[in-house]
Amino acid sequence: MEISTEREGSLLVARAGGRLDSINAREFDDALKSAISESDQVLIMDLEKVSYVSSAGLRVILLTAKTLQQRSAKLLICSLAEPIREVFEISGFDKIIPIHADLAAARASIG
Amino acid sequence: MLSLCLESRLEELQRIEAAVEDLGEREQWPPNLLYQVKLVLEEVIVNIINYGYEGGGHKIDVHLISEPDTLTIKIADDGRAFDPLSQAPTPDVDANLEDRPIGGLGVYLVQSLVDEAHYRREQHRNHLTLVKRRD
Repeated sequence: MEISTEREGSLLVARAGGRLDSINAREFDDALKSAISESDQVLIMDLEKVSYVSSAGLRVILLTAKTLQQRSAKLLICSLAEPIREVFEISGFDKIIPIHADLAAARASIG
Repeated sequence: MLSLCLESRLEELQRIEAAVEDLGEREQWPPNLLYQVKLVLEEVIVNIINYGYEGGGHKIDVHLISEPDTLTIKIADDGRAFDPLSQAPTPDVDANLEDRPIGGLGVYLVQSLVDEAHYRREQHRNHLTLVKRRD
């Protein structure tokens, strides 16, 4: 489980890598929590290097989206591999979290 | 055909995943199929480990039967009687972010990704059979 971050003003880009599954979901959650600061208004989660997401990973993503929403910040997701995108769609996550094809598109959407 | 007897702990997921990857590679499964089979197995096995037992030391039997048109996954465990197909709550996947409850997606994903699912309780064991068409 790797996560690297980059901050530009109130935008935080977090790149995850590897698998977001039952074994490392907690580690992913901890990594996100320590990366996000109260001043971040937008978090772009770049999942290009993520090869697998199960419901345990989805749970962490949903919790993160809810936590951000509670303080009027938002989560965007980009660069999903095709089978992962399908899992997001089945779960209805594409209706509650904006999903973009790549990082450039996600950035463009926030102006 | 793949048969594994897993211990009821999360680390065992790595063993089943490696075995499924080997089989998928040998049979040249498309990436989507490999992903979905791994996901289905993780969701079912994690459910059994988390909710089926009080304490460890239990065994979960997994069989994967690969035929030209279908993949059949059979999972049997000696945990408490639980039919995930009818007893697991269905998540509201149309709810907005605020109202969306956390969790409940595992079994829903399994049911969405397979073509047939059957449960039976027999001789103090749960038997779940999942069939996925290879198309």
